[in-house]
Amino acid sequence: MSSSKQQTANSKSLTIGWLYPDLMSTYGDRGNIMVIQKRCLWRGIKTEIVNIDQNTSENELKSVNILFGGGAQDREQNLVINDLVKKSGIIKELIENNVPSLFVCGSPQLLGKYYEPSFGKRIEGLGIFDLWSIHPGPENDRLIGNIIAKTSLPGISETKIVGFENHGGRTLLGKNAKPFAIVIKGYGNNGEDRTEGVIYKNAIGSYLHGPLLPKNPEIADWLIKKALEVKYKTPINLEPLDKSVEEKARNTIAKRLNIKL
Amino acid sequence: MSNLGNGSTWPGHIALGANKNFIRQILKNSKTKIIVVAGTNGKTTTSSLISTTLNDNGREVIQNLSGANLLNGIASTLISNSDFKSKLNADFAIFEIDENTLPLIIKEYPPDFIIILNLFRDQLDRYGEVNIIASNWKKAFEQLSERTTLILNADDPQVAYFSKDIKAKTLFFGLNEVNENVKIQASDSDYCPKCGKKLNYTNRVFSHLGNWDCQNCSLKRPNLNINEFSSYPMPGTYNKYNSLASVLLLRQIGIKDKDLQKSFAKFTPVFGRQEIIDYKDKKIQIFLSKNPTSFNQSFKTISELNAKSLLIILNDRVPDGHDISWIWDTELSSIDEFNNILLAGDRVYDMALRLKYELGISNFQSKVKTFEELSTAIDSGVRMVSENETLFILPTYSAMLEVRKILTGKKIL
Repeated sequence: MSSSKQQTANSKSLTIGWLYPDLMSTYGDRGNIMVIQKRCLWRGIKTEIVNIDQNTSENELKSVNILFGGGAQDREQNLVINDLVKKSGIIKELIENNVPSLFVCGSPQLLGKYYEPSFGKRIEGLGIFDLWSIHPGPENDRLIGNIIAKTSLPGISETKIVGFENHGGRTLLGKNAKPFAIVIKGYGNNGEDRTEGVIYKNAIGSYLHGPLLPKNPEIADWLIKKALEVKYKTPINLEPLDKSVEEKARNTIAKRLNIKL
Repeated sequence: MSNLGNGSTWPGHIALGANKNFIRQILKNSKTKIIVVAGTNGKTTTSSLISTTLNDNGREVIQNLSGANLLNGIASTLISNSDFKSKLNADFAIFEIDENTLPLIIKEYPPDFIIILNLFRDQLDRYGEVNIIASNWKKAFEQLSERTTLILNADDPQVAYFSKDIKAKTLFFGLNEVNENVKIQASDSDYCPKCGKKLNYTNRVFSHLGNWDCQNCSLKRPNLNINEFSSYPMPGTYNKYNSLASVLLLRQIGIKDKDLQKSFAKFTPVFGRQEIIDYKDKKIQIFLSKNPTSFNQSFKTISELNAKSLLIILNDRVPDGHDISWIWDTELSSIDEFNNILLAGDRVYDMALRLKYELGISNFQSKVKTFEELSTAIDSGVRMVSENETLFILPTYSAMLEVRKILTGKKIL
């Protein structure tokens, strides 16, 4: 009914679904949730967090407006996938319906075609992302360090993202997959082809943690904006927030890596 | 550059280069009893409690310097404490050992006592995942004979599980206290180490420590050999664990409780672990905070001490770990009770972001100050506290060494 083309976010609400917070929360992943929640709150958007685990009903999962999944140790990945396959249909449907999602570290591996851990059996993934991941074994170096990459997200492409990566697994993208970002300094998916993460519709998979969102508020706001637009079916204009502390934190890393942001 | 905090490890490095069996030979050749202390948090305090008490009770003790906790550090300690016949002149040797070195030292020479304090998420970039460390340790413990005594934290499921299928003698410490703030924080091992199902906790002390049991495979916390002691040398729940582990070991060695109490009563903290330093007519107390669990416990302890002014220093150098994402796993909901919050360190603005999201923008702007220079931060902090107030400092490891250097004018390591 609004007469203006773009609506503000005030007095709207979002439901954030957090996949297996007990099992998949190895790398400060909670920070990503906090950032989305607070950036909504500061703009008058109500949020509710729903933990997605073995006790979640189908309807609860379907009500989610943003989906988030974090990192996990190899053992926990096995526990997760057993339950995740049961939810596979709904998660696919959410992503196909453009629900914005962020999957970090372990979870994109599970959403890909398969994951081969350093020990034990290959884990078949949900096949949502056209990628597969292989852990080359503990004698190979983990890919660890600060990373800067240029995102290819529509609307904010060219934005440089700053984070930290720490992964044993190497991910390869299929020919239909689009990377989330192109590495400027760091390793990315496999340390070789300069791709970082994956993007499919509004779902992002990434090895970046640190966590990702605090130092990359543009990504956080992109997720929030998309979530509101999908839910309310109208273009949304998010009021900008001060980012002076963010800039300083980003520049600390940029200076070390000798990159101009 | 050699690692900060490694002390003098080059003699050991050379000795091991010349003779890779050096450690094995010298220990075999001596009557010295070997005590190894391992775990993510509390090694230095526990080792120091044990060595102080043994010293007070007339035992000759040698100890590796904190930070010299790899094989070359152990070898260096042995060199500087042995006579010309390569024999150690000590009743006890206490070694605090790095996570990755523990299996190596066991292979070199089986210790008489091994204390395992806990296993928390620490420096993932250096040590890898907690589960991998646990499985390497378990394999090493399976090689031990009954002449070794393992002293284990029963409240930590993965640590307690080390007692399964081994020949070594086992003793358990744990706490029966109920912690009121049962909010789950930065938990690493809420899952059964045997069958992988989620564990049940009848009470939780902090993080994944508590009275646990598995309703699937019926594994449960082992019976405790000790759960309290008449006096503790330092505040903080985590120091109760360190103390109980020490008591359990010292009793085995034959130290009487009344002598233990005497030593505990006059124990002074090791540098940076609740150490109090007078500086510019004000009191500063340093609480080393190197990972989410140690940060949370430090934070809780200073809150209980009614702290109002706080300096957090976040570095990301080798001894700290390069990965600082752990700051987002800390539990800081009571930080708005502080009046002055100062931040410094290599990653000061990452910590600032963490607090911005905890406090909200206006509280953040009115309470938090960031400093790029550590000495300026300390001076500013000291100026802010009133005469009888303490400035509390929560530093990471390398930051703690820097703070001490500024406050005392000396380098310790």
